[in-house]
Amino acid sequence: MNFEIINPGTTKELLAAVKKFQKENFRFGAGCTDFLMELKKNPSEGLTVINLSQVKDAQFNGLKKSVKGLRMGAMLTAHKIVMNEEIKNKYPVLHNAAESLASTQIRQVATVGGNMCTASPSGDIACALASLQADCELLSTTGKIRNVNINSFFAGLRKTVLKKNEILYGISIPANIKSTKNIFSNFIKVGTRRSMECSVVSLAYHIQTDSNGIIIKAGAAIGASAPTIRFAATACDFLIGKKFKNITQKEKEEFAEKVLSYASPITDIRATAGYRKEVLFNISKSIFE
Amino acid sequence: MKKTKTKTEKLHEVSFTLNEKKVSCKIKASVLLLDLIRDVFELKGTKPGCGEGECGACTVLINGAPVNSCLFLAVNADGKNITTIEGLTKSDGSLHPVQESLVAHGAVQCGFCTSGMAMSIKGLMNQYENSHNVPGEIKNGIPSRDEIKKHLEGNLCRCTGYVKIIDAAEAMFKQEQ
Ligand SMILES: Cc1cc2nc3c(=O)[nH]c(=O)nc-3n(C[C@H](O)[C@H](O)[C@H](O)COP(=O)(O)OP(=O)(O)OC[C@H]3O[C@@H](n4cnc5c(N)ncnc54)[C@H](O)[C@@H]3O)c2cc1C
Ligand code: FES
Ligand code: FES
Repeated sequence: MNFEIINPGTTKELLAAVKKFQKENFRFGAGCTDFLMELKKNPSEGLTVINLSQVKDAQFNGLKKSVKGLRMGAMLTAHKIVMNEEIKNKYPVLHNAAESLASTQIRQVATVGGNMCTASPSGDIACALASLQADCELLSTTGKIRNVNINSFFAGLRKTVLKKNEILYGISIPANIKSTKNIFSNFIKVGTRRSMECSVVSLAYHIQTDSNGIIIKAGAAIGASAPTIRFAATACDFLIGKKFKNITQKEKEEFAEKVLSYASPITDIRATAGYRKEVLFNISKSIFE
Repeated sequence: MKKTKTKTEKLHEVSFTLNEKKVSCKIKASVLLLDLIRDVFELKGTKPGCGEGECGACTVLINGAPVNSCLFLAVNADGKNITTIEGLTKSDGSLHPVQESLVAHGAVQCGFCTSGMAMSIKGLMNQYENSHNVPGEIKNGIPSRDEIKKHLEGNLCRCTGYVKIIDAAEAMFKQEQ
C-alpha cells in the first residue's frame, strides 16, 4: 500500500485540491475504514488521497437541527449519530442503523458520507437515510451546491452520481410531519453475526401515524437485496391511509410482496438469493406485529 | 511515450501526545498508526491481529475514544491525544483499575487480546464520564452488562469465552462508581 496524501485544513483548500487533481488518480479519505481495506487488497499505482478528516468546517463535520429537519455534515461519524438524543427520539431507524454498524472502534471514525459514497448495497446508515428520503448536497469545485434526492444518488453497485469535481457535503432529513402522533421506525439487519458483518438483508422503515393511528407518511428501504439500496415506493404508497394497528394478514403480505418487487438478490458466500427473498418477505410482514 | 516516475516519497511531519508525552516524527503518507506506535515508538503492547478492523487487538484511545489503529492513518494522529496500553499504567508502575480487574477475574489467558480489551473498556469508561459535557449526549450512571457486551463486539478473544472479561468490566464499573 503506497500513496501520497494532501491534507486540506479548510473547505476552500479542499476544493482547490480537488480542482488541482482533476486529471490525476485521486481518492477521498474520510474515516478511511472502507477505503484502507480496499487499498490493502487492491493497491492503486500513483494514487493521491485527498484527506477529508482535517477539514475544519462545522457544516462538513457537524449536525444541525432546524424547522425543516436535521442536517448532517458528510463527516459526521456513526458514533455521533448513535449518541445524539434528537436522532434517537425522532428518527429511531437512523439511530439503530448507526448502532448496528461494525463495532465501537469503527463507529468512532466511520462517517455518514463514507457510508453513502461507498455505495455498497449493504450500507447500513445509507439504507436508513433512504427510508427517511434524505436529500444530498453535492459541492463542486465551482463552489456551487447541487441537491440530489437519495433515491437518485446511487447509480449502481459501488457507483454514485458524484462527478469527479464534486464531494458529498451534507445530508438533510425532513422533519417528521407536525400532526404525527406515533412513529414506527426501525432498522432490521439480518446477518450471521449481529454486528461486524455485512447484512444478508436489511430493511429500514420509518412510518408516521396521526392521532387516529392512520398512516400519514411511510418510508421503507431495502439493503443487500439489489445492486443498490432501494426505496420501496409502491409499498410505502400502499400503506397511506391505513390504520397501522388494523392492518390485516392479507395486507401485510401484499405490503411484503411490494417490498420484494424491489429486490433482485444474488447468491454469494453469505446467503442464497432464495433465502434472501424469503427473509425479506418475512421481516417486511413482521413490522406490523 | 511512457514516463517512468522516480519521485521520492514525501514525508509528513506529525506531532501528537503519546501517553502524555509530546512527540513528533516524519512519516510516509501510507503509514498506519499501529505501525507507527510499534515500529517507531517501539511500544509493543498494541497488538497487530487481523489488520482488517475485525479483532480489536490493535485498539488505542484517540482523544479518549477507542479506535482500531490498524485502520487509522498515522498522519491523522497529528494534534491528537493518543493513549496505548503502556499509558494506562500509572507512572509509578501500578496497574489501572481496568487492568487490576482483568487480572483479579482471571480474564487473561494467552493475553493477545488483553491490551485491546483493556483499552476498549477504558474507552467506555471515558464515554460515560465525558458525555455529561457534550450537549445532546447524556449518559447517566454506569453501563449495564448488555451495554458492556455491545461495546466489546469489536474485540475478539480466542481463549476466555468472554464471560470473565465481561465480569471484570462489570465489577470495575461497580467499584469505580
Ligand atoms: C470490520 C468492518 C466492519 C464493517 N461493518 C459495516 C457494517 O456493519 N455496516 C456498514 O454499513 N458498513 C460497514 N463497514 C464499512 C465501513 O466502515 C462503512 O461503510 C463506513 O461508513 C465508511 O465510512 P468512512 O468514513 O470510513 O469511509 P472511507 O473509507 O473514508 O470512504 C469510503 C468511500 O467514500 C468516499 N468518500 C468518503 N467521504 C466522501 C465525501 N464526503 N465525498 C465524496 N466521497 C467520499 C471515499 O473516497 C471512499 O471511496 C465495515 C468496515 C469494516 C472494516
Ligand atoms: S488488528 Fe486491528 S482490528 Fe484486528
Ligand atoms: S486471552 Fe487469548 S485471545 Fe483473549
